[in-house]
Amino acid sequence: MVRRFVPLLLSLVALPTFAADTLKLAITGPFTGGSAPMGASMRDGARLAISEINNAGGVQVGASKMKIEVIERDDEAKNERGALIAQEMASMPGLSGVIGSVNTGVVLAGDRHLQEKGITKIITPAAGSASMTQWVGKAPELSIFRFAAHDGIQAAMVVEEAIKRKFTKVAIFHDATNYGVSGRDDLQREIKKQGDKLQVVATEKFNIGDKDMTAQLLRAKSGGAEAILIWAIGPELAAVANGKTKMGLTAPLIGGWTLSMSNFIDNAGKNGNGALMPQTFIEEPITPKAKAFIDAYHKAYGVNRIPSAVSAAQGYDAVYIFAAAVKQAGSADTHKIKGALEDLKEPVQGVIATWKHPYAKWDNKDVETHEAFRRDHCVMGMVQDGKVVFAHDEDKQRLAALAKGP
Amino acid sequence: MTLSIFAQLVVSGALIGLVYALIAYGFQLTFATSKSINFGQGELVMVSAFFSLTLITVGLPYWLVIPCGLLFGAALGLFVERAAVRLALQQKSEGWILLTIILGLFFFSLAENIWGRDDRPFPTPISQTAIQILGVDVTPVELSVAVGVFAIMGLIEVFKRQTLVGKAFEAVSADPDAGELMGISATHTVMLSYALSGIVAALAGILVSPITTVGPTMASALILKAFSVAVVAGLESGFGVVIVGMFLGALEGVASFALGSGWREVPGLILLILALAVRPTGIFGKAIIRKV
Repeated sequence: MVRRFVPLLLSLVALPTFAADTLKLAITGPFTGGSAPMGASMRDGARLAISEINNAGGVQVGASKMKIEVIERDDEAKNERGALIAQEMASMPGLSGVIGSVNTGVVLAGDRHLQEKGITKIITPAAGSASMTQWVGKAPELSIFRFAAHDGIQAAMVVEEAIKRKFTKVAIFHDATNYGVSGRDDLQREIKKQGDKLQVVATEKFNIGDKDMTAQLLRAKSGGAEAILIWAIGPELAAVANGKTKMGLTAPLIGGWTLSMSNFIDNAGKNGNGALMPQTFIEEPITPKAKAFIDAYHKAYGVNRIPSAVSAAQGYDAVYIFAAAVKQAGSADTHKIKGALEDLKEPVQGVIATWKHPYAKWDNKDVETHEAFRRDHCVMGMVQDGKVVFAHDEDKQRLAALAKGP
Repeated sequence: MTLSIFAQLVVSGALIGLVYALIAYGFQLTFATSKSINFGQGELVMVSAFFSLTLITVGLPYWLVIPCGLLFGAALGLFVERAAVRLALQQKSEGWILLTIILGLFFFSLAENIWGRDDRPFPTPISQTAIQILGVDVTPVELSVAVGVFAIMGLIEVFKRQTLVGKAFEAVSADPDAGELMGISATHTVMLSYALSGIVAALAGILVSPITTVGPTMASALILKAFSVAVVAGLESGFGVVIVGMFLGALEGVASFALGSGWREVPGLILLILALAVRPTGIFGKAIIRKV
């Protein structure tokens, strides 16, 4: 027995020496469940970037090259799972950083464990405002960064779009989750901020799992709503779209980026056509880089549509930004990587944009210092025949220019 | 609220209410013969819906999917009876309560592992485009729910009243011991009632899936409403569940329009409390007189 165990024990002791020349990067998110289209696409986009980097020999760290070793954890979109995983990450020796999280609740439950130990994390694609605002006035130093267009930007765009389309009466629909309720608040704030040009004729709520939206839609209809501004997730969004068609209500849905989720598009079918939502990436080959990314994704995972293209592209770019920070820091030490992220010297060529100095030194009063996305990075997407396309053609050139860089 | 809006709310609500009624009817069938109900009935609805969806994806035509789905439901019902109910009944224990709940959880995990946790659309050849009847928008799919519910309940009621096996059903429900003395196997009758209950669950799944989509949690909201309907109507009357189901559905629609969507469930719950306080056997239930 003993003789058999000794080599085993030795190999365990020997492992850390092997680990020293790899860079440990954790990817966390919901890979199963209702949020899985976002979580799994993010993970697969990130994997794509990692395999590209590893195939080229790895990340240049000082004099040598280090390959990226991925640690994946499924948080199932459950807050308590997220907290456990974050604790595990916080105590993992030699971990260089974490990329991930789809659900704002999971971020709120877990990130404090990482921040305590100063582990560098890039949140993507969770968009809820609270993920970053929770640190305002509290943390003198912050190791948490975000790589997603937050709900503040998205709500502003949704209200802008409604005004641009000359609507004057709208209904606000939202689900009863944190995400839906804070989305409703963001929308109401933006309507005020943009000059009260929209009259809200109905504010309607529904629960996760509700399928019959007749009453809510009738209230919108009898109030004369010309558009429905909506904050919810896939299945319920589909129920609203289907009910809308049934009652002959032509007011379009304009809402959060969740309207691009595959479980909305598939369950709503042709009733989903015309839904508008802010996007950071649209699955159209507008640049050679975007084409290469889309083709590589389709080939690697055997699909002809990315379940959540925004999540995939953000996961991909986040890995490249992280790798650039490692290179600049010249170290796999997570604290040094954080310092480099706050002051990235070289632009990073991503698939969404060329990222020039995406983050700045954390300012206790200004979350924008750790937010990479600005209004300019976002465009309006529109559902058309089972796909998300550009709602405005002029946006194509604008995004392509951003991606081209200097 | 104009009349046309009111009519729309009542019709849409009542059609969904019929699904509550159908699931509640599944409770009644087994309660009649064995005084037990399957607390995992919702999972039977869900698993049968997934099974039928698989048949559709394999390429089976819709008219063939329905009987296969119903047979599958019957098999599931028999399995529940054998695994969770029979022994408990023989020992005159209440073990079936826990066992049916556990089987429900088991089916839930099974579905998650086989079919995943996503909600999926359920294709149907019946049109989803609304038609107007007297100013009310209804889709043919919704009408198919009504047709299906009335057809299956009518068939089962006729079977219970007109056939010999059906009479046995009634006899066991009245007095199992006396039934045994007359040569009616109580065990077989209970099996039959569980099979029928499974068929009813499967039909509910097939009918409602095009409207609600198919997912592991698709029945969790429906099942609670079905319980309310069964309790308010009483566990005796098939006619009662239909009336109460339609009424509850319509009430929900009207309430969420008139009071706001956050109040949707409240009138139904008040109704439930009232019914239990005033008529514990249900509005259409018969007070059971036990002669000692």
